[in-house]
Amino acid sequence: MRFSIYRYNPETDAAPRMQDIDLPDADVAPGMMLLDALRLIKANDESLSFRHSCGEGVCGSDAMNINGRNGLACITPLASLKQPIEIRPVPGMPVIRDLVVDMSQFYHQYRAIQPYLIVHDPEPEVEYLQTPEQRDELDGLYECILCGCCSTACPSFWWNPDKFRGPAALLQAYRFLADSRDQATAERLEALEGPYRLFRCHTVMNCVDVCPKGLNPTKAIGKIKKLMLKHLI
Amino acid sequence: MIWRASGFRAWLLQRLSAVYMALFIGMFVLHLALDAPSSYQEWRDWMALPFIAVTTSIFFAALLIHAWVGLRDVIMDYVHPLGVRFVLLALVAAGLLAMGLWMLRILMMGGAA
Repeated sequence: MRFSIYRYNPETDAAPRMQDIDLPDADVAPGMMLLDALRLIKANDESLSFRHSCGEGVCGSDAMNINGRNGLACITPLASLKQPIEIRPVPGMPVIRDLVVDMSQFYHQYRAIQPYLIVHDPEPEVEYLQTPEQRDELDGLYECILCGCCSTACPSFWWNPDKFRGPAALLQAYRFLADSRDQATAERLEALEGPYRLFRCHTVMNCVDVCPKGLNPTKAIGKIKKLMLKHLI
Repeated sequence: MIWRASGFRAWLLQRLSAVYMALFIGMFVLHLALDAPSSYQEWRDWMALPFIAVTTSIFFAALLIHAWVGLRDVIMDYVHPLGVRFVLLALVAAGLLAMGLWMLRILMMGGAA
């Protein structure tokens, strides 16, 4: 099985390069995921760096660009990939080494949307109550694992990662706007105003296309705009 | 604070102008398809009807607003040096303004004659 993997070690390399690697077919078991193959490759060449943890699409550590498409290596079946399998770091982020990127800007944008409940009333004595219908509003939003596949596939985030919140952060912004327990709707909407934070989204929908959890940030962004309209009228 | 309002307001204007233009173009094309003017004079008379004159003027205003928001978005996406951006935005604004005045002149002269 043939691979072409992006290699870059800023301490020793002047420029990034693509390394061709052959994995003996005998090592490839049926049903293997891309992450398994990368681990086998790393067993032979321990200088290859990539992030991974849970190995089952829950932690979101192993986002990478696989044959031109962002995805999680641990839930991408090897059999589904055209050879040579081209592996690159997710686009638009500073590369720390090989497939490991600096996610600081991504987390900065996430932090900026205040991803927690804001409640002005005194806290209830026991717990916050929510009807099943109110809870249903959060479906398709809370499942995000912050892998960064969507934001790093978004052209608007490539051009303005310092100002545009990006699809992942905006999906989470709506997750808290949609939460019946949150009381900061007006403040949250105000914080998304301006030409950059929300409105750099041009509904390219790359985010929807690549999300490994099947979520729809574009729809959430549309709902935020609808909320803004509701607040205006 | 004005520039901060230019996110939502610009988006809303772009959507509203798009809807208006779609409706107007539909009406316009439908008229040309079903009841095309047979002579230049008939065409001018039709254009001079108050309803047509007003909706046409609004159409061109919507077109300019729509183009301004769209081009501004493109420039904001791709042109980051502030000086270059300012010059480009000024050029776009001047160009659209000139086109707007030109259209106004054409429409006014049509009404006057």
